[in-house]
Amino acid sequence: MHIIVPIKQVPQSSAVKMDPVTGTMIRSGSAATLNPLDLYALETALCLSERSAGSVTALTMGPPSAAQILKEALSMGASRAILLTDRLFGGSDTYATSYALSKAIEHIGSFDLIITGERATDGDTAQVGPGIAAWLDVALVTYVSAINTIVDRTMEVERLTEEGYQAVRLTLPALISVVKEIAIPRLPTLRGKKRAMNTPIEEWDARTIGADIGKIGLKGSPTRVVKIESPKVARTAEVHIASDEDSMKGAVDRLIDIIEEVYHG
Amino acid sequence: MTPYTPITAAIIEELITICSASNVLTERDRIEGYSHDETSKEQYSVMPDVVVTPTSTEQVAQIMRLADRHTIPVTPRGAGSGLSGGAIPLFGGIVISLEKMNRIIEIDEANLTVTAEAGIVTNELNEHLKDTGLFFAGYPMSLESCFLGGNIAENAGGGKAIKYGVTSRYVLGMTVVTPQGQIVHLGGKVTKDVSSYDLKQLYIGSEGTLGIICEATIKLIGIPKVASTLLVPFQSAQQAIAVVPLLMKQGIIPVSIEFMDRLSFEISCSYLNETLPLSGVGAMLLLEVDGSDAAQVEADLVAVGELCEEMGAMEVYIAEDANNRERIWAVRRAIAEAIKVYSPVQSLEDVVVPITSIPQVLPFLKELSDRYGLQIPCYGHAGDGNLHATIIKDPEWTMEKWLEIEPKILRDLYAFIVGKLGGKISGEHGIGLKRREFVKELTPDAEYELLKTLKRAFDPKNIMNPGKILI
Amino acid sequence: MADVWTIAEVSGGVLKEISLELLGRARTLADTLGVRLASVALTSHLNEDQVERLAASGADVIYLGQDSTLEPFTVSAHASALMALVAEHSPQIILAGATTYGRTLLPYLAVKLSCGLTADCTDLAIEEGSGNLLQIRPAIGGNIMATIKSPNHRPQMATIRPRSTPLPSLDYSRTCTVCHVPITAAVHNPTHVLGLRPFVGQQRSIEDAEIVVAGGKGLKKRDNFALVEDLASLLGAEVGASRDAVDRGWATYPHQVGLSGKTISPELYIAIGISGAIQHLAGIKTAKRIVAINNDRDANIMAIADYAIIGDLFAIVPLLAKRLQERRKTQ
Repeated sequence: MHIIVPIKQVPQSSAVKMDPVTGTMIRSGSAATLNPLDLYALETALCLSERSAGSVTALTMGPPSAAQILKEALSMGASRAILLTDRLFGGSDTYATSYALSKAIEHIGSFDLIITGERATDGDTAQVGPGIAAWLDVALVTYVSAINTIVDRTMEVERLTEEGYQAVRLTLPALISVVKEIAIPRLPTLRGKKRAMNTPIEEWDARTIGADIGKIGLKGSPTRVVKIESPKVARTAEVHIASDEDSMKGAVDRLIDIIEEVYHG
Repeated sequence: MTPYTPITAAIIEELITICSASNVLTERDRIEGYSHDETSKEQYSVMPDVVVTPTSTEQVAQIMRLADRHTIPVTPRGAGSGLSGGAIPLFGGIVISLEKMNRIIEIDEANLTVTAEAGIVTNELNEHLKDTGLFFAGYPMSLESCFLGGNIAENAGGGKAIKYGVTSRYVLGMTVVTPQGQIVHLGGKVTKDVSSYDLKQLYIGSEGTLGIICEATIKLIGIPKVASTLLVPFQSAQQAIAVVPLLMKQGIIPVSIEFMDRLSFEISCSYLNETLPLSGVGAMLLLEVDGSDAAQVEADLVAVGELCEEMGAMEVYIAEDANNRERIWAVRRAIAEAIKVYSPVQSLEDVVVPITSIPQVLPFLKELSDRYGLQIPCYGHAGDGNLHATIIKDPEWTMEKWLEIEPKILRDLYAFIVGKLGGKISGEHGIGLKRREFVKELTPDAEYELLKTLKRAFDPKNIMNPGKILI
Repeated sequence: MADVWTIAEVSGGVLKEISLELLGRARTLADTLGVRLASVALTSHLNEDQVERLAASGADVIYLGQDSTLEPFTVSAHASALMALVAEHSPQIILAGATTYGRTLLPYLAVKLSCGLTADCTDLAIEEGSGNLLQIRPAIGGNIMATIKSPNHRPQMATIRPRSTPLPSLDYSRTCTVCHVPITAAVHNPTHVLGLRPFVGQQRSIEDAEIVVAGGKGLKKRDNFALVEDLASLLGAEVGASRDAVDRGWATYPHQVGLSGKTISPELYIAIGISGAIQHLAGIKTAKRIVAINNDRDANIMAIADYAIIGDLFAIVPLLAKRLQERRKTQ
């Protein structure tokens, strides 16, 4: 079974703090990391491929520095890593990104399954995975929380919805996005790392994948960001210090009033 | 009877005159937080009479002059993250909290120094410095809460001391208020100074017993750009510890070599719901390498990992990505918290021994644990021989039983550490209130007398954090 | 002029609230543009009174596709029905909920229709002059608001955060045309829904809850998380959890609030023992009211709390439960 896992480099969220006065974000440094939700996609892919003597290809689109997250994927056990990097891809929205990634996947050739994380923690759109499925015209199942069976070309999975866990049967090839519940990611090992050091990261540009220049980058993106505002999100709390019985009672009773307002307002 | 003058309304008035009413706290619920530190509150807690939060060194000096005049005990306080009861106002009196003195006075990039007030949080200082590419490497585990002043007064160590050393290495100068209320400036921006007795070094680690550190000038170094972390399970503690001297011989100095015995990482992993395979694991090492050259750090990572493999590591987990590094560090960091959840009453010990003696400490702890029927998980900074053996009160035990048994265990432990292994009873947490009796027992008379003479010379009225370190 | 469309969500013949919220929002847009507002419902069946609810909530036209292949939802069945409808009517705007349904269907459809899509909007407006849809969404953990448009592509598409707008008031005097859409089942649908396993002990997802009571690391251990669960059940609320609490196994992932969990907008959010990492705050910024119960006055969560009790949660929460019960008895 050949599984492709598209992954993304995102700013390291722990390097981000909030200004207590304005409630705006202070980003310190430019530390980047693998989108934490992609770890679940990688783990799922690695488990499946180990079961079926298959292989996992990690794919990312980004600046040359994004090679770092591919190395991480290799250390975890991916057997191939492809970095899609080209100035022409700059400014891509989710439409253009899913197009470029789908062209790269076509260029990779055959695959059985594409697994993505639920979404990236920076853009938070969750649109690229379904977009890739549309470009490639393969089955799409999102929010997968468990893979129950795989028999030949048929997979049975569970997906997490607002109502509960939905059981879905799907026919490969397919794209699934997975949620955190599906697996506990492994830590990379020294063995994996040494193997990774011997695996070159393949760099592809727009020409390699035969991308239509009109569909990539800012030019190929239907959406435009027209304005960015930093709203003041800080609120001024009514603070009660509950240090003894009386102050605690007072604070709790006031909270009950607030709860009652919600019930009746 | 204490020799001290009680706090009167008139003294409160004087304090208000010095630093205004909003900086003088007397209400019980507001000063309760100043009655203890991070040692077990159930065991170590004394209410102050008044807490003042001065906003300048001059105000601190005026408060000390007032205290000197009336013979009032004064306890200086940083963030209260201490682990030896050093900030507890044993005789009540005045607590001077430096929380409002948190300004950065000067960042001197050319001389690689920063001068700041003592109340700044260590991590915040480094946040401010980030854009300069420099940082203060005095790096206790509590860096997100501890103040610079407390950090210096305790001469903090932490998880990176093996490469970067302890806080004293970085303190170039300081402004101190003496017990008599004099302001003295020690050291400066110079990196060498043998101009007289080194009073500055005397204040470092003095736990607030000789005066109050109000400002400090700190030597900065470049921020390492890359760091990678390894988590290495071994079948036995002996195997794990044997790695340490071999590593150092290779010329690779990791920034951290942390040790965790089975009980420690089991408690922590279970608390964190961390599911690493632990079957057959007797001890773990957490190692970190850092530097400015990514290729060099990668080479070091592999070299350290390979050495661990040669020494019988069961597996070598590595983390180069921030998320995974955090996941590994969480196991080490959560130990203290996880143990506290299990039993808030405990004695978090801080013994330090020559590195090669670490394997002897562990069987001894096992023996103590069997003898007294208590659990004693042990973890800490293996690279420094500094171990946080933690004697946990069985939640079933009464407090009376604990208070009876705890000193016996400590006496046995310290006798072994100091007598048999040539170690010391505290590597970085200090003596404070918690270990002062043992200092007296374990220090030769002539040396103890020198310590007392020194204290008397600085603080003849014994008003400066009285009852700490010495009895 | 081309119409504005919203995509309704139906479960068991009944509309989900998001269907009406979308109409409330889109009604303003349609009025500004002077065009009709249509609601598209693709389902196995929609009860008659529900059709009337769509009309009363602002729909001028209802495109109703009823076919057994449309429920439960699969992307290919819904996308092919919508593609045919869009090809026939060419709407200028399509809105759906930022739910597991909308966030699966719309990105797929957007690619098929070669048009732009903005995720999880909390506000919408029409740009003066151009008539473009301005799509406003929180970005980078909710700390900035980005305004996005698709000037050259039609339809303009967006998913809208549930509960980000009040339900419209119902007007049953409104007239509305119902168009029954013929559905041709796909020759081959690669996905097939086998069944649903509902959540255990949970009434609805935390995104739909009016009140969410959430717990974090401050609860110290799994047993103590019962304080949160008990309070939630007393209030008829759902249980939320910080990432720490979920990672520690005190609550399951469907309860996780924050950047790597759910973004929610309840009327009331009660955070117990949650210090408020930036990632957590991102998930609750659009909550109407935020209450924090915490022993640390300087915790991050205080910056966005409306009401805070500083003290020992192990004393406060039981007292809160007790007083609530007393108050209920006297009422």
